[in-house]
Amino acid sequence: MSRHIYLRAYMAGVTVPSALMLLILLAFCVVRFGFQFPLPIERALVFPMALVPNLWGLWNMLYVPVNRRARIPIGLYGAVVPLFVGPLAYFSARAFGFEIPPFVMAVLPFALVIAAMAYYLVWKYLVGFFNELLEIG
Amino acid sequence: MNDADDRVCDLLKRAVGPVGQPELRRDLWPRMQARLEGTRLRVPWWDWVLAALLALCFLLAPGAIPAVLYQL
Repeated sequence: MSRHIYLRAYMAGVTVPSALMLLILLAFCVVRFGFQFPLPIERALVFPMALVPNLWGLWNMLYVPVNRRARIPIGLYGAVVPLFVGPLAYFSARAFGFEIPPFVMAVLPFALVIAAMAYYLVWKYLVGFFNELLEIG
Repeated sequence: MNDADDRVCDLLKRAVGPVGQPELRRDLWPRMQARLEGTRLRVPWWDWVLAALLALCFLLAPGAIPAVLYQL
């Protein structure tokens, strides 16, 4: 299976955030409709729904040449993603006029570190699994 | 074994020709074992520590949950 390696890498990268999207949507719905929190769900979901899966796919595509040159463990490679996605998420939330709740703003500086830990585990075990399945890297 | 059994054995031997190569060229079991062990998920202890730390962070600062979910 040596053909279309970049397409396979993109698909492997997109799969995990797309599946997680259901959980995120559920969490947003619980917060919005369950706790009656005034959250503009349509504006809040633009970033995780449209941009994040594509970013993961592109990042995993980039893993193919990076892994050929220097063999970087996929967990560490994935843990770098929040460095780009975090600020992008913040600025896109601002751009879409989505007001970040104060309790989230309070932990925002630590959220990057926490996200890096979460990304490490998700990339190592989930994206890594799909990469292995599709014979990437 | 009676005459009928002997006859069945003879018929079977005649019907099924001798196998050309009864032995495998190499033992396939080590490869099979390596493959089985390869598919087993092994989680190192530091990953367990990291997962526990992550759960603790979420417990102590629940505001981080939406912040992380937002960028996942």
